[in-house]
Amino acid sequence: MFSAADKLALRYSELMATDPDAIDAAFFDALRQHYSEEEIVELGVFIGFNLGYHTFFGTLKFYPLFSPDGRLLTQAESEKIYGATPGSLKPSEPAE
Amino acid sequence: MTYVAPLPREAITDPEMRDLIAQSEVLGVPDDLFPRILARAPEQAKPFMRALLMSHAEGNVDHRLKEIIRIQLARFAGDKYFAALRSRKARELGLDEKRIDAGCSDYEDSDLFTEAEKCALRYADQMYLDPNKVDAAFYAELKKHFTEPQIMELGAFIAFHYGMQMFMRSLGAVAPSSPT
Repeated sequence: MFSAADKLALRYSELMATDPDAIDAAFFDALRQHYSEEEIVELGVFIGFNLGYHTFFGTLKFYPLFSPDGRLLTQAESEKIYGATPGSLKPSEPAE
Repeated sequence: MTYVAPLPREAITDPEMRDLIAQSEVLGVPDDLFPRILARAPEQAKPFMRALLMSHAEGNVDHRLKEIIRIQLARFAGDKYFAALRSRKARELGLDEKRIDAGCSDYEDSDLFTEAEKCALRYADQMYLDPNKVDAAFYAELKKHFTEPQIMELGAFIAFHYGMQMFMRSLGAVAPSSPT
């Protein structure tokens, strides 16, 4: 489903949130094989921005606005579908 | 050197971007490294710089309190770059290193902070350490000390600065060598 470039971008997001020490010069060399410097900076600030805001929004009990089939939901309907705890506040699955 | 090199200053010709860099150098946060890296993505650079400066130096929450929170978050994020920077405005308003260190450590038992300030420091402290504790009861406590616009100002400030600190950490940014 994902290209090598997509996978690297997803990996950047995952590592920034969970293991930033694993992001090193070699990782950026790999990013440069698929993205320009401009795109890497765009990606990095976008990930950082979302990393900060999703947790904040989670504490405000923001729920997804749409059902899986795209229907606009009320907060109560959303809570019924997606559960009582916003996804950003759910504990991560323990590593295997 | 960061993994993405900053643009040379002379390569940044957009007048608004140059003005934003000048504003940030007056404030001291950030120095020119962060905007010169951002400038590699010119469409993103200006709104991000505007938001960074506005959320920190403007608004209706005490700038000195936001400066302590910013440093507390940078230390938590492991971002040596933003952790080393200091706001000249906050310093001129009387914020010193003793108060910064107290706010980043045992603020709950400190007599240097009001209950409102402790509540704001706890907000930032818990946001990324244990966000499940930032619940309805926590917001009710915040509302005893802050208006709802102030709480949103604080929350957005915390979220934005933490995100940019994690970004700079991912780039391997280190503390500036010269004192700010």
